[in-house]
Amino acid sequence: MKIQVFAVLKDHFDKEFELSEDIKDIASLKNYLSHQNAEADGILQISRFAVHNEFVNLDYAIKQNDTICIFPPSSGG
Amino acid sequence: MILSAYSPQAAEAEIPALSATPLDVVALLAQSHHPGAGAVVLFSGEVRNNNLGQDVDYLEYEAHEMMAANMIKEIINDAHAKWPLKIAVAQHRTGKVAIGETAVIVITSSAHRGEAYEANQYIIHRIKHEALIWKCEYFTDGSKKWGGNCSCCTPEQEA
Repeated sequence: MKIQVFAVLKDHFDKEFELSEDIKDIASLKNYLSHQNAEADGILQISRFAVHNEFVNLDYAIKQNDTICIFPPSSGG
Repeated sequence: MILSAYSPQAAEAEIPALSATPLDVVALLAQSHHPGAGAVVLFSGEVRNNNLGQDVDYLEYEAHEMMAANMIKEIINDAHAKWPLKIAVAQHRTGKVAIGETAVIVITSSAHRGEAYEANQYIIHRIKHEALIWKCEYFTDGSKKWGGNCSCCTPEQEA
């Protein structure tokens, strides 16, 4: 799977990276990334996730070729 | 303007929700007049030179462009469903925005001012909280900070 992160998450992860680990769903991905980078845990807990330009829930079953976008809370305006 | 050919809905649809170049507030206002609207409310969110006691140099906005644009269009559609608006448009900047420049603009036109004001507040509130847009503040001391919450969430911080 490919991961794309946005905004403040780029201070903690590469903007785009690939994971070959067997991670079954978004909840597991969140836990995995939090363990990889404990400083990002707080922001990951309140982030939203999307696949193919659609928001997905924590139980979304990740497919091998998915590109998963991770969005911190919005701060436009 | 030839009234018979005038289509506010078509004009709305043609306005991109995001822009990487300075927003043309006057041109957007010019497109927001409607023969049935007695009230036009224009909100311009502009870059302030200070935040939480720090001197701001400039802001930079990042967006997930496709999703953010779709979300802004949805918010506009929701506003149309809730209020009898003649016109509702919103446009948000991406990239570097200087002090005093417009970062976001929302214009609502309706028969009377009440619904135009209410719808305008509704639209800007939802854009700030929901649209996939993020600000990064660059301060004059060289530091930077990704935007946190707005004034609705942290009282000490002005929008």
